[in-house]
Amino acid sequence: MRVLSRFILPPAHSPGMLAGRVRTALARRLSHLPRPLLEYGAALLGVAITTVVIAAILSVTPPVNLSLLYLIVVLWLAVTFGRWPAVAASVLAFLAYDFFFVPPLHGPTMDDPAEWISLSALLATALVLGQLTSAVRARADDAARSERRAATLYALSQLIASTPDLDSLLAALVGRVLTVFSSSGMTACCIILPDTAGNPIARALAPARDASAAPLSLATPEELAQARWTLEHGTSVGGLIAPREHPGDERLYYFIPLASGLRIVGVLGVAGAGTLQRLVEGLPARNDRAPALAARPERDPQTSLLAAFCEQIALALDRAMLQQQAIHAEALREGDRLKDAFLGSITHDLRTPLASITSATGSLLDPHAQLSNADRQALLSSIDISAARLNRLVGNLLDLSRLEAGVAAPERDWYLIGDVIATVLDRLELAGELGDRPIYLDEPADLPLVPMDHAQIEQVLTNLLENAVKYSPPSSPIHITARVDPTLSELEVIIRDEGIGIPPGELSAIFEKFYRIRNVELPWLSARPPSGTGLGLAISAAIVEAHGGRIWAESHPGAGTAIHFILPIPRDTPAGALPELGPAPAEAPPQRTGVSS
Amino acid sequence: MSDQSGGWPLSSASTPTPTGRARVLVVDDEPEIGRAVQTGLAGASFEVAWAPTAADGIEQVSRWHPDVVILDLSLPDLDGLEVVREIRGWSRVPIVVLSVRGADADKISALELGADDYLTKPFSMGELLARIRVALRHSLQSASPSAALFTTGDLALDLERRTVTMAGAEVHLTPTEYEVLKYLALNAGKVVTHRTLLRAVWGPQYEDEAHYLRVFVGQLRRKLEPDPSRPRYLLTEPGIGYRLRSPDAPAPAPPTSSTPPSGR
Repeated sequence: MRVLSRFILPPAHSPGMLAGRVRTALARRLSHLPRPLLEYGAALLGVAITTVVIAAILSVTPPVNLSLLYLIVVLWLAVTFGRWPAVAASVLAFLAYDFFFVPPLHGPTMDDPAEWISLSALLATALVLGQLTSAVRARADDAARSERRAATLYALSQLIASTPDLDSLLAALVGRVLTVFSSSGMTACCIILPDTAGNPIARALAPARDASAAPLSLATPEELAQARWTLEHGTSVGGLIAPREHPGDERLYYFIPLASGLRIVGVLGVAGAGTLQRLVEGLPARNDRAPALAARPERDPQTSLLAAFCEQIALALDRAMLQQQAIHAEALREGDRLKDAFLGSITHDLRTPLASITSATGSLLDPHAQLSNADRQALLSSIDISAARLNRLVGNLLDLSRLEAGVAAPERDWYLIGDVIATVLDRLELAGELGDRPIYLDEPADLPLVPMDHAQIEQVLTNLLENAVKYSPPSSPIHITARVDPTLSELEVIIRDEGIGIPPGELSAIFEKFYRIRNVELPWLSARPPSGTGLGLAISAAIVEAHGGRIWAESHPGAGTAIHFILPIPRDTPAGALPELGPAPAEAPPQRTGVSS
Repeated sequence: MSDQSGGWPLSSASTPTPTGRARVLVVDDEPEIGRAVQTGLAGASFEVAWAPTAADGIEQVSRWHPDVVILDLSLPDLDGLEVVREIRGWSRVPIVVLSVRGADADKISALELGADDYLTKPFSMGELLARIRVALRHSLQSASPSAALFTTGDLALDLERRTVTMAGAEVHLTPTEYEVLKYLALNAGKVVTHRTLLRAVWGPQYEDEAHYLRVFVGQLRRKLEPDPSRPRYLLTEPGIGYRLRSPDAPAPAPPTSSTPPSGR
């Protein structure tokens, strides 16, 4: 695709040489400048036309001095092209009038000294007028330019202020730089940030698929080394991209340091046409004492705008990175707080059943206690209940350690989800958790085998069903649906209750560790708040994600909750079957597929 | 199946002990568990002995001739799986494994080494008693020629005529389905691992096709079970295998398992 010219990165110890070589190499290639031709051509043409007009007028009128007409051309040139074309036109007008209209005609000399004075006056007037007019024009230009510049910078700061997170900020900044500087030949732009080890990483690149953007993605070691150089030394480096198809149309790229204070926070990578050289190489070097905004007068206004952009972007990045660190620290603190609360409640939860067990056994073992059979029975059943509670707590602690360590990689085998659902329902029924509430099971008979870790998916289903039980009235039904999509690529399981539901703002938060819906009133649980640790759904989500699936909640407060989870079904689902044995007259061919009924 | 009264199964038939009570050996190194199990079993009129180590357990099996062995897998001197292997070398005494290990692999290894059943701690005494009774009945059955008619709940298998009826109505099974059901019926109440069932019905080359077995059993359930999505006869032991409902199970009872439930 592209060929890097060889001048790019000199040995790491001579950055100064590099800049010089870049400049001369580029200057040679980019010396064609069409604009002066136009300006001085206009001067020549304007004077010529005026001369013809004067000649035409003089042919029908008595000879008068019409040299003043040239002032119109001078004025127009001063307004349109500035000082030097106007000066050129003044001199040309002086010579043309002398040559064509002052006797002796067609010669440089003049007979009448009065003509000398009059023409000199013309020249002086034209020169002064041109100077004044072009000065006014330059000032108006400056005003307009600084207004544009201010508006552009303001828009940039608006953009920075309104973009919340780092990644979208980077994308927005890159897009903005590209729009503003595309008139200077920029065709691609990226922001490179150091990762934790200090290696440059292209974080945002626009447009991603452009050929000129290729070097900015830091795909080759050479470009990586250049970006690293800029990151470490704070000096710009650049190179050539020469597309083989169009040998003449060289393109350039540069890595520009983004410095906030003394720190290099990142690198702005830009690529584009040869005109980029003018834009980038006027940028102040990092060791320049002069602030970038106080642009040197001879600098291209776009260059000083780019310098201002770099400064703004660097500040924004610096701030965003600090903010990210602060958010991370805050998240850690919040996690610690929740964990403390959890451990506190676990300690309390562990002590309570232990206390009731020891007090019950104390009474039962006391040889002097006068206990009726009913008393004994009551004490024993309280031991029983407490032990069951302890068992649940141990389960929760296991959950926590599992979650902290990360869910174990699923040991997948091919299962029918119906078998797993039946197992979980049987277990909950046996534990008395379902009471006499109706369970509506909706699963097609021909569901395919799906790869899963049955113990993990059992846990997911258990957690979801227990939640459904906990957060809905005791006699309200629970609906379990299992289905596959038409392309047989996903198995979806839905557990729906008709309980209190989940407020819309908390639908995704419920899958976070330790999160529990606040201020729940469950009238069917007299006085006791729902037990639990806020881990069940977090574990379920971790398990489903470890299976490559996804989980989400749908709910309307007061109208119940539906938790959906999806397990992917790979293409290589076993579709054979066990063979039929022996003589089976009516059923000689074996079952055709594993999924048919 | 005879006398069910007083939770005292088969006592008259089960054994050659002088007291007429079935002997249960508990091999477990935790004294608390040993004592609790001993008390519970003695309360159900079993004669109970306790061995705290593997060596002691193996010795007692050979000297005391228990009718059922309750075996913990984590013992101080020898892995419980080795104990199963050792005992199976010379005795057919039913072994019920009792363990805190919840992993499928452990249960499967124990069953394939010859253990008859397993129970995961924590367990309830009622569950343990039920498993002991199944084990006793089964050892009795294999000692005497099996009855030609097997019934559990509404399901009946006539092994002579090769017919199956559910609530009196005949169910048409393919020969393969019948073989599967028959194998499970001969081991009714016991867990049969996927491998064992595949090997017994289809042959060793099908040992690893447990996923096809799941589909196959699903089809069988649709013929047999009143509600195939909530099986009451052909029970799944998740990850391990299948268990046909024991004939003396009180009501159609779901299987139990051990994963602790968790809260939100």
